[in-house]
Amino acid sequence: MKQKEKRKQGMARLIELSGEKNTALISSIVLSVIGTLCQLIPFWSVYRVMAELLKHTVTGEAINTELLIRLAVYGLAGLLAGYLATYLGGMKAHTFAYCVICGVRLKAAEHIGKLPMGYVSNNSVGKIKQILDADVEQIEGFLAHQLPDLVSTVVMLMAMFIVMFTENVWLALACLIPLAVGFVCQFTVMIKIMKSGGVQQNFDALEKISSSSIQYVKGMPSIKIFGQTVRSFRQFYDDIISYRDFTTKMTEVIRPGFVRFRMFVLSVATFIVPIGLLLFLKNPQDLSFVITYLFFLILAPAAATPVLKLRGFSENMNIITEGVKRVEAILNEAPLQEAAECKIPEKHDVAFSNVRFSYDENGKTILDGVSFTAQQGEITALVGASGAGKSTIAELIPRFWDVTDGSIKIGGIDIREIRQADLMEQMSFVFQESYLLSDTIYNNIVLGKPDATKEQVEKAAMAAQCHDFIRSLPEGYQTKIGDGGVHLSGGEMQRVSIARAILKNAPILILDEASAYADAENEHEMQLALTELIKHKTVIMIAHRLTTICNANQILVVEDGKIAEAGTHEQLMRKNKRYAAMWKAGMESANWRMEQGKEVSVQ
Amino acid sequence: MKKLFYAITCNEPKRLVKPILSNVLANLSNLLPFLCMAYIIRQIYDYFITGNLNDFYLWLSWGGMLICFVITYLLEDIACKITYRDGYMTSADGRVKLAEHIRELPLGVLMGKSSGEIGNTMMNDFSKTESAMTHILPQIVSGVIVAVAASAAMIIADWRMGTAMFLGFPVAVFIMLGMRNLERKLDTRLSAARVEQASKLQEYLYGMRIMKAYNIQGENFGKLKSACTDYRDACIRLEGRIAPLNLVSTAFLRLGLPLMTIAGVLLIGGGTLEIPEFAMFLLIGARVFDPLSVAIMNYAELIMCGMAGERISRLLEEPAMDGKKDAPNTHDIAFHHVTFGYGTKEVLHDITAAFKPDTMTALVGLSGSGKSTMLKLAARFYDPATGKVLFGGVDEKEIEPDKLMKRISMVFQDVYLFQDTVANNIRYGRDNATQEEIENAARLANCYDFIMRMPQGFHTMVGEGGSTLSGGEKQRISIARAVLKDAPVIFLDEATSSLDPENEAEIQQAISRLIKGRTVVVIAHKLKTIIFADNILVFDKGRIVEQGTHKELLSRNGLYAKLWNLQTSTEGWKIN
Repeated sequence: MKQKEKRKQGMARLIELSGEKNTALISSIVLSVIGTLCQLIPFWSVYRVMAELLKHTVTGEAINTELLIRLAVYGLAGLLAGYLATYLGGMKAHTFAYCVICGVRLKAAEHIGKLPMGYVSNNSVGKIKQILDADVEQIEGFLAHQLPDLVSTVVMLMAMFIVMFTENVWLALACLIPLAVGFVCQFTVMIKIMKSGGVQQNFDALEKISSSSIQYVKGMPSIKIFGQTVRSFRQFYDDIISYRDFTTKMTEVIRPGFVRFRMFVLSVATFIVPIGLLLFLKNPQDLSFVITYLFFLILAPAAATPVLKLRGFSENMNIITEGVKRVEAILNEAPLQEAAECKIPEKHDVAFSNVRFSYDENGKTILDGVSFTAQQGEITALVGASGAGKSTIAELIPRFWDVTDGSIKIGGIDIREIRQADLMEQMSFVFQESYLLSDTIYNNIVLGKPDATKEQVEKAAMAAQCHDFIRSLPEGYQTKIGDGGVHLSGGEMQRVSIARAILKNAPILILDEASAYADAENEHEMQLALTELIKHKTVIMIAHRLTTICNANQILVVEDGKIAEAGTHEQLMRKNKRYAAMWKAGMESANWRMEQGKEVSVQ
Repeated sequence: MKKLFYAITCNEPKRLVKPILSNVLANLSNLLPFLCMAYIIRQIYDYFITGNLNDFYLWLSWGGMLICFVITYLLEDIACKITYRDGYMTSADGRVKLAEHIRELPLGVLMGKSSGEIGNTMMNDFSKTESAMTHILPQIVSGVIVAVAASAAMIIADWRMGTAMFLGFPVAVFIMLGMRNLERKLDTRLSAARVEQASKLQEYLYGMRIMKAYNIQGENFGKLKSACTDYRDACIRLEGRIAPLNLVSTAFLRLGLPLMTIAGVLLIGGGTLEIPEFAMFLLIGARVFDPLSVAIMNYAELIMCGMAGERISRLLEEPAMDGKKDAPNTHDIAFHHVTFGYGTKEVLHDITAAFKPDTMTALVGLSGSGKSTMLKLAARFYDPATGKVLFGGVDEKEIEPDKLMKRISMVFQDVYLFQDTVANNIRYGRDNATQEEIENAARLANCYDFIMRMPQGFHTMVGEGGSTLSGGEKQRISIARAVLKDAPVIFLDEATSSLDPENEAEIQQAISRLIKGRTVVVIAHKLKTIIFADNILVFDKGRIVEQGTHKELLSRNGLYAKLWNLQTSTEGWKIN
C-alpha cells in the first residue's frame, strides 16, 4: 500500500509538470464510470421484462405490451448512452494522456538541456532517447486505459454489491465469495512470483535477450567478415531458446492462478444458483424472492466482462512504474547552477587555476590540478595522447561540465558567475565531428548569429570556402542536409561549421581537431577557412598533427590529466622530453610508406 | 484476412489451429452453464403456470452447471497451456529462422538497414506476433465462431427470435473489416509522425553540444516541440477516428438483446411464443456475444500485430546470398565489366580491373568516386548488377560466402567490438586459436602492451561497441584479428580521423607487419603512403580513369598528378 502511495506521487508529479489540468482526467473518469454503469442497463431491462412476465403468469393479468416495449427501448437507450459516454470519456482520456506525455517529453528535453554535457555522453544517448520516446509512451496507456478502467470497474462493483446486499444478503454473498476467491488465487500467485524475485528475473531475461539480439544484429558485419556466423548464431540460438524456456516456465507458475481467476469470475452464476434454489424451495410461493433471484442471475454475470479487463493491470503497472521512475530520474538530475548576477567579461583571456575534474564523485580523476592562461589574441595549443584530458579541458570552458575543484576565469570573471547565454556569446567552437542539423544549409550557418542578413551569411560562407560548393547544390543555400536531403562529405560539413563560427565572430575560439576531417581534395580549402577564422581571437586548439601548431604562442603537453610541459615549440624541443618524442613520432609517421615486402620486427 | 493469419504465424497458419480450437471449446463450455440456468428458470416459470415442481430436475440442472464448471476449468487450463506454449515456440522458432536468415543476407543489405530496425523486428515484432497468436486472434476467431454457432442454434429453435438476436452481427463484422483499411491508412501517417519525433529527439540529444553552444536547448529548439505536438495531434486524430468505429461495432453486437426483447414481447402479445421459452432466450441471448465483445476491444491491436508480422515477413523475403563452391587457392581478384548502383543510382560504370596476387593495389580518387564501393563488391557485400567479380578465376556468386570470407581480411576505420573479453574479441579472427597465438597476434599488432595495462589483461571485458577503448586501440585490436586470421587477401581502408602521432605510428607499424607478403588492396587518402604500390587505380565519377605505378601516373600528368600536386603543395596546415 505504501508503495502504491509513492507510485501515485511519481505519476501525479509528471502530470503536474506537463502543465495539464487534472480536471480533464477526472471528467474522463466520471464519463467512463457512467459508461460502464450504462452498459448494465440492457441487462437490467431484461431482468425487468422477465419479472413483469413472471408477475403476469402468477396473476394472470393481460400483458402490458406497452410497458415491456418501453423497457426494451430503455435497454436500447442505455446501451447507446453507455457507448456514447464511453466514447466521450475515452476521447477525453486519450487527449489528456497524449497532452501529458507530450508535455513530459518537452519538459524532460528542456531539463536535459540544462544538465552538464556529461549527462548526454554518447554512450547514454540511446538510453535517454529510449526513456523520452518509449518509456514516456507507457504513461499514455495508463492514463487513457488502465486508470479509467480500474476506477469504473471498482465503482461498478461497489454499486452492484450495495444493491445486491440490500436485496438479499445470502445471494449477494454467493456472488461475492467466488469473486473474492478468484482474486485471492490471482494474488497468491503474484505474491509467490514477487517473493521469488520473478519480476526481476523477467526483466533480466528480457534485457539479456534484447542485448544479445542487438549484439547479434549490430555485430553481424564483423561476424560475417571473420566467417564466424555459425559460432555467433549458436550463441544467439542458445539465448533465444533459454529465453523461450524461461518464459514457458514463468507461464507454468502463473497459469493456475490465472485460470482459476478467470473461472471463478466467469462462473458466478454457478454459485448463485444453488443458494437461490435452497431459498426458493423453502417457500416456492414467494414471488418477490423469485424476482430477486432473477435479478441476481441476470446481472451478476454481467460484471465478469469489466472485471476480466482488470487482470493485466498489475503486470502493466510494473512496466509503467519502471518508466515513471526513469523519467523522474532524469528530472531529478541537478542542472548547472545559473549565475544570479549578470556579469559580462570585457577582456577575453582564459585562465585555469588548479582545476581538478572527475565525471562523478568517486570516479577516475580526469584533470588533476591544471593551471594555465590562454592570453587574449594568442594561440594556445593542447597536445598529447588520446585520453590524456585535452578535450575535457576544452569542454570545461563552455561549462559543458563544471569543475570539481579550482576555477576557470574569462577576463578575470569566474565562468560560473556568467549567465549561460552570455557565456556562450563569448565563444565559438569547431569540433572534430561537425554536427549539422537536418535543416537547410542556410539555417545551419545562420545559427551562429540568428539576426544575420543574407549577405553576412554568404560572406561567412565565402570566408569559410564553402560558398562555391553550396551554390553548386541543387537548391543552393536552401538545400536540406541529412535524411531526405543532401549528404555532405566530412570536409564539407566541417567548412559549413566553420562558416557558422565565422558568422558568430566570438572573441574566444575553441578548436578540437578541426582539421582532422579534411578530405585530400579539399584540405587546401579547409586551411584557408581556418586561417580566416582564427584571426584576432583567443584561440584554444587541440591538434594531433604537431606541424599544425608549431607556431603557437604557447604549447601545453597534457599527460594523465596534468600539464606535463609548457612552452613554445623551440623551448620544448630544446627540453628534449615528451614534446620532442611526440614530434619525432609524428615525423616518422608522416614519412611512413605502405610496403608489402618490408620486414618489421617486434620490439 | 488470410494475409494477416500468415503474417502473425511466420507463414505457418497451421499453428493457429490448436489455440483457436481450444479457445472455441473453452468458450462453448462457458456458455453451457447458462443453458442449464435457463432451464432452471424455465422450470420455475412452469411452476407458476402449472403448479408442478420437480426438485430433482432443479438440482440435476445445477449438477450440470457444476460439471460444466469442472470441464471448463480443465479446458481453460489446457487452452492456456497450449496457446502460451505454442506462442513461445512460434516466436522462438521465428527468431531462430530470422537469425539464420540474417546470417545469409548480403552484408550490403544489412548495413543499409539500421541495426535498430532489425533489432526491433527481432525482439518487439516477434513479441507482438506472439501475443496476437496466443490471445488476440484465437479470442476473436473463437468469439465469432461461438457467436455464429449460438445464433444458428437460436435460429433453429425459433427463427424469429434468433434472427432478431443475430441482426446486428454482420454489420459489426463489416465495420470491423472496414476499420482495418482505415487504420492502415491512418497508421502510416502516425508512423511518419512518430519517426519524425524520434529523429528530432535523437538529433537533439546527439547534437547537444551544438544546442548548448548556440543556445537552442529545450524550448528554443522549436523543431523538437513541433515534432512532439504533431505526433500528439496525430495520435489524438487516430484515436478519434478508430475508437468510435470500435464502439459502434460492439454496439451493433449488443443491439441483439434489446431487439430480441422487443420481438419477444410482440410475439407473446400475438400469442405465438410461450413465456417460459422467451425467458430462456433472454437468458442465453444475454451471454452469447460476451466472448466476442471482449475480444473485439483488442481488434485494433491485432491489426498492429499484423503489421509487425508483415515487417518480419519482408525481412525474411530479402534474398539470401548463395553459392556452393569452394574458394580457389589462387588469390587474384578480377572485375569484368562490372556495373553497380545503390537503388536506381548507378555508382560504378563498366569497371574492368584486377588485383594481382601478392601485389599491392591502391584505390585513389575523390570521395564518392566509387573506390569503397569497388572494395565492397570485391568482398561481396553486394553482387554486381551486371558483369562479374572473379576470385581466383571463379565467379564470386558461385563461391560459398563463408569460404570466400575466410580468404579475405578487412581492416576498416569503424571497428565493432563484442561484449566479451579482449582475448575473445581477437579470437574472432580464428576461433580455434590458442592463448599463445592470440598473444602473439596482439604483439604483432602493437596491442600487447596496452592490453596488459588493463585491469585483467586479456580477460578484461570490453563494453558493447567497445566503448572503453580509444579509437587507436580499437583499430589495433582489429589488426590483431586480421593477423590471427592470416588470410591471403587484405583489404584496408586508411583511417581519415586523426590520431595522436604516437598512436598513429604504432598502427602504421602494425599494418606494415600485417600486409607483408599478401595480396593487398588499400583505399588511400594520403597519396604519399602508397607510392610503392604495384598498381594504382584512379577513380573519377564511378570509372577508372588511369592506372599504373606512382611514377607512370606522375609522368602521365593526369588526375593523379593533379591530386598529388594539390596534396604535396599544401601539406599540413600551419598556424601563424
